[in-house]
Amino acid sequence: MTAWEGIAYGFGVALQPDVLIYCLLGVTLGTFIGVLPGIGAMAAISLLLPITFYISPEAALIMLAGVYYGAQYGGAVASILLRLPGTPQSAVTTLDGYPMAQQGRAGVALFVSMASSFIGSILGIIVLVVLAGWLSRAATAFGAADYAAMMILGLVAASTIGSDRPVKGFAMVVLGMILGCVGTDVNSGAQRFTFARTELLDGINLVALAMGLFGVAEVIGNIRNAERQAAPERVGFRQMMPTRDDLRRIPFPALRGTALGSFFGALPGTGSTLSSFLSYAMERRVARRPERFGKGAIEGVAGPEAANNAASITAFVPTLTLGIPGDPIMALMLGALVIHGVQPGPMMLEARPEMFWGLVVSFGIGNLLLLILNMPLIGIWVSMLRIPFRYLYPAILIFVCLGVYSVRGSSFDMGVVAVVGIAGYLMALARFSPALLLLGFVLGPLIETNLRRAMLISRGDPMVFLERPIACGFTIATCLLILLSIWQVWRRRHG
Amino acid sequence: MKITRRAVIALTAAAIAMPAFAQEWPSEPVHVYVGFPAGSSPDLLARIITEPLAERLGQPVVVENKPGAGGVIGVQQMLANAEGGHVFGTSINGPLTTSPRLVPDIGYDVATDIAPVALIATSPLVLAVNAKNEAGDLQGFVDLAKAEPGALSYGSVGQGSGAHLTAELFDADAGIEMLHVPFTSYAEVTTSIIGGEIDAGFMAPSAALPHVEAGTMKMLGVTSAEPFAQIPDVPVMAGNAGLPETFRAELWNGFIAPASTDPAVIERLNTEINEILQDEAVQQKLLDMGWQAAGGTADDMKNRIAEDTTMWGAVLDRIEAQ
Amino acid sequence: MQRDWADIWGGAVLALVGAGVALHAGLRLDFGTLRAMGPGFFPVTLGVLLLLMGAGIALPALKRGAEPVIFRWLDAGAVIAAILIFGLGMGRLGVALACFLAVIVASVPAPHGGWLWRVLLAVAVTLLVWVVFILGLRMGLPVWPRFG
Repeated sequence: MTAWEGIAYGFGVALQPDVLIYCLLGVTLGTFIGVLPGIGAMAAISLLLPITFYISPEAALIMLAGVYYGAQYGGAVASILLRLPGTPQSAVTTLDGYPMAQQGRAGVALFVSMASSFIGSILGIIVLVVLAGWLSRAATAFGAADYAAMMILGLVAASTIGSDRPVKGFAMVVLGMILGCVGTDVNSGAQRFTFARTELLDGINLVALAMGLFGVAEVIGNIRNAERQAAPERVGFRQMMPTRDDLRRIPFPALRGTALGSFFGALPGTGSTLSSFLSYAMERRVARRPERFGKGAIEGVAGPEAANNAASITAFVPTLTLGIPGDPIMALMLGALVIHGVQPGPMMLEARPEMFWGLVVSFGIGNLLLLILNMPLIGIWVSMLRIPFRYLYPAILIFVCLGVYSVRGSSFDMGVVAVVGIAGYLMALARFSPALLLLGFVLGPLIETNLRRAMLISRGDPMVFLERPIACGFTIATCLLILLSIWQVWRRRHG
Repeated sequence: MKITRRAVIALTAAAIAMPAFAQEWPSEPVHVYVGFPAGSSPDLLARIITEPLAERLGQPVVVENKPGAGGVIGVQQMLANAEGGHVFGTSINGPLTTSPRLVPDIGYDVATDIAPVALIATSPLVLAVNAKNEAGDLQGFVDLAKAEPGALSYGSVGQGSGAHLTAELFDADAGIEMLHVPFTSYAEVTTSIIGGEIDAGFMAPSAALPHVEAGTMKMLGVTSAEPFAQIPDVPVMAGNAGLPETFRAELWNGFIAPASTDPAVIERLNTEINEILQDEAVQQKLLDMGWQAAGGTADDMKNRIAEDTTMWGAVLDRIEAQ
Repeated sequence: MQRDWADIWGGAVLALVGAGVALHAGLRLDFGTLRAMGPGFFPVTLGVLLLLMGAGIALPALKRGAEPVIFRWLDAGAVIAAILIFGLGMGRLGVALACFLAVIVASVPAPHGGWLWRVLLAVAVTLLVWVVFILGLRMGLPVWPRFG
C-alpha cells in the first residue's frame, strides 16, 4: 500500500461517524485534562481504559491518542496563564508564556501556542508518513552510548536557559540530577537515598516534583501580590489577535521546533521533553537579541510548543512500527490494543492497516478539531485571569493534590508536594530556575544509566563514544557547543 | 471432660456462624489491590478475573492500582487497608518470593501476614536472541557461550528481576558465563537485542513473539516444563543442552488475602476463581496476553511460594557470593 | 540596598546539600572506577560539583548588594498545611470534608477580610472537585468520612 492509498484508506476508517465522535471526545477530554494542573494524559488514559473494552479497537486507539496529543494543547494554557506546567515539556512554555500573560498579552501567547502546536502536529504527521521507516531504523540503531552522548548534548545546550547567572543554572541542573539518583540504581540494584522508604524505591514522583516546584511555589509567592496582577480590561477578538510583528515571529521557530521534535520524539525515551528544551535553547541562540528571552519572547513559546506537539506525533513511530513503547503512556495504549486481541508489533502495519492509517488520518482530523475547539476557548481562558487570585488559588492547590494523587494513589507523594513546595518557594525567592532542576531530574537518570550501560557493554572501553558514529557525532557537537559558549563569553569581555 | 451448657452454646453458635458468615460475605464492595499501573499486564490479568468475580459475588469489585517497587507497594497497601474483610490483592511472584530479601524494611512477612487464595496464571520466559545470531538452537548458544566466557551479554529488567534470576539460573545450570546488562523495561531490552547491542534476553513469550514474526528475533527455548500453548514450536529448555530435567523458571500471578481473612471467605474465593478459570473465554484472554490459566487450592499456591522462595534464594546466594 | 542574602544563603544551602550527598553516598555506596562505575559514582561526583557551585554562588555574593527578599511565613505555612490536610486527610476524612477544611486553611493568608466568602469558596471548590473528579473522572476516592 502506498502512502496515498494508505491515507485514502485511513480517511475511510477515521471518518466513520462513531470513530469521529470518539476522536472528538478524546481531544476534548485531552484539552481539559491538560489544563488541569497535575492530571496528565497518563491518568486520563488509565481512567478511560475500561470504556475502551466496549468499542472497536481503532476507535479506542484513536480516542486514547486524542487524549495524548490533546493534553499537549491544554498543557500550554495553565503554563501561560498560571505558570503551572502539567508536564515537564510544558515547563519550558512558562519561561516566556507567563511573562507575556503578566504583560497583558495572555491571549496572544495562547494564540501563538495553539498556532505553533498545530503547525508542529501537522508537519509531524507528514514526517510520520514519509519518514516512518527511516525513523524506526534510527530508533533501533541508537545504542546506550548514542543515547548518553545525545542526552549530554541536550543537557549542555539547555543548561543556561531561564537563569540570571549561568552558575545558578548549572547548580539547578546538578541538583535535579542528584534528585534523579534517588531510588533503586538500575545497574547495581543498590538503594540510593531511599532511607528505607519503599515509596522511594522507584525514585521521586516526577509529577509531585513538578507540581511542588511550579504550582505550590507559585501560589505561595502570589497570594499577596496577586491583586495587583495585570488583567486585560475587556477581552475581545482584537486583544487576542497577534500583531503583524507577532505573526512574523511564529513560522521559523515553529519550523525549527518541529524538526527537533519530529526527530527526538521518534526515539524511545524522553524525546519530547528534550526537544522542547532544545528548541528553546536553539531559539535563544539564533535570536539577534537573546536578552529578550525570559521576558515574553514569542519565539520562546512558538518553538517549544511546535517541538513537543511534533514529538507527541512521531512518538507513535516506534510504538506502531516496532511495537516498542517510547514512554509509559504509549505502553498503556499498547495495553489497550492487547485487550482487543490486536498484537502490536512490527507486523501491525501489514496485519491491521486500518489501525495504522486510521490513526494517522485521525491525527490530522484531531488536530483540526483541537484548533477549532481551542481558538474560541482562548477568550474564556484569558477571562479566568480576571477572577481574583484569592478565589483561584485554593482550588489550584486541591487540583494539584488530586493530580499528583492520580498518578499512583500514594499519600507519600502528598508529603513530597509539600516539602518540594517550600523548597520551590525558596528557590523562586532566590531566583533559581525550577525548569532547569526539572530538566536535570529527567535527563540525569537517563544519562547515568546509558553511560554506565555503554561502559558495561564495551567492557569498560570509553572509546565507544568515538567509535560509534552516532555517539561520535553528538560528542563532537557537545565539544563545539562548549567551545562556542566559551568564545562568546570571551568576546563579550574583551570587546 | 465436663461439657458446660455455655460451651455447647458457644460451639453451636460458632458452627452456625461460620457458614452464615460466608453467606453474608460480601456485605460491601470488594477491593483488590494491584501493585502495577492500570493497563499493565498484571492489571489486565486482575481485571479479567475481577469482572466475572463481581458478578458471582453480587458486589462490585474495585481494582486499586498502587504501583511501585515491583509490586511490593500493592501488597503493603493491601495489608495497610486490611480491616473489614473485603480487601484482597493480586501479586506476581516477586513480592511473595524474592522481594523480602531484596527490599529493606519491606514491612511484611509472607508466611505470617499473607494468606494465598489461588494461583491465577503462570507464564514461562523464552530465551530470545537476534535473528542473525550464529546459534541455531540452545545447544549452539551454549557452545558459543562456552567458547569465550563472558563474551555474550544478556539484558534484564533490573537486578533481581525474573529475567535476571532466570538467566543466572541458566548460567549456573549450563555452566556458562554471560555479561548481565540491566535495563528498565522489556521494550528497551527488545530494542537492544534487535539493534545488536546485546546478544540475548529472557522475556515473556508475548514480548518476543511480534519480533519473531517480523523476522528480527528468534526464540531458542522456553523455561516451562511443557511447551507453551502460545508458542508450541519452541522447545523446552529442561533436559536440553546439558540443563537438568528439573530446570523450570516461571512467572506467576496469584490472588492473595491478608492473613486475618476468615478461612471460609478464602475457601469461597478459591472456588469462585477456580470456576472462572475453567471458562474457555477467560483462558483464551489470558493466553492472548501470554498467561496460562493455573488454579488449584490455596495450599498449592502456598507450596509454590515456598518452592520458588527456596529456588530463587539459592540463585540470589550465588549472585551475592560473586 | 543590602547584601545579596538570597544568593549567599542559596549558595550555602546548595553547598551543604552537595557535601551531604557526597558524604552519604561516599560512605554507603560503591564508587567503582571510571571504567566500571559503581552506584556511588554519580551521586558523589554530582555532590562535589554541587558543593563547588554552591560556593561559586555564595562567595561572590558576599561583596554584592541586592534587593531584599521577604519570606512570607504565614502564606507558606497556610499553603503547606492545606496540602497536608487534603493530601493526607482525604483517605479518612473523605474528599468532601478534607477539601472544605483545606480550602478554609489555604484562604487564611488572603488579603481580604471576612469569613463568609471563605466558607462559600470552600463549598464551591468542594462541589467543583466532586463534579470533576468523582463524577467526571471517576477517581476511586471516598467522598464522606469513614468511621472505625
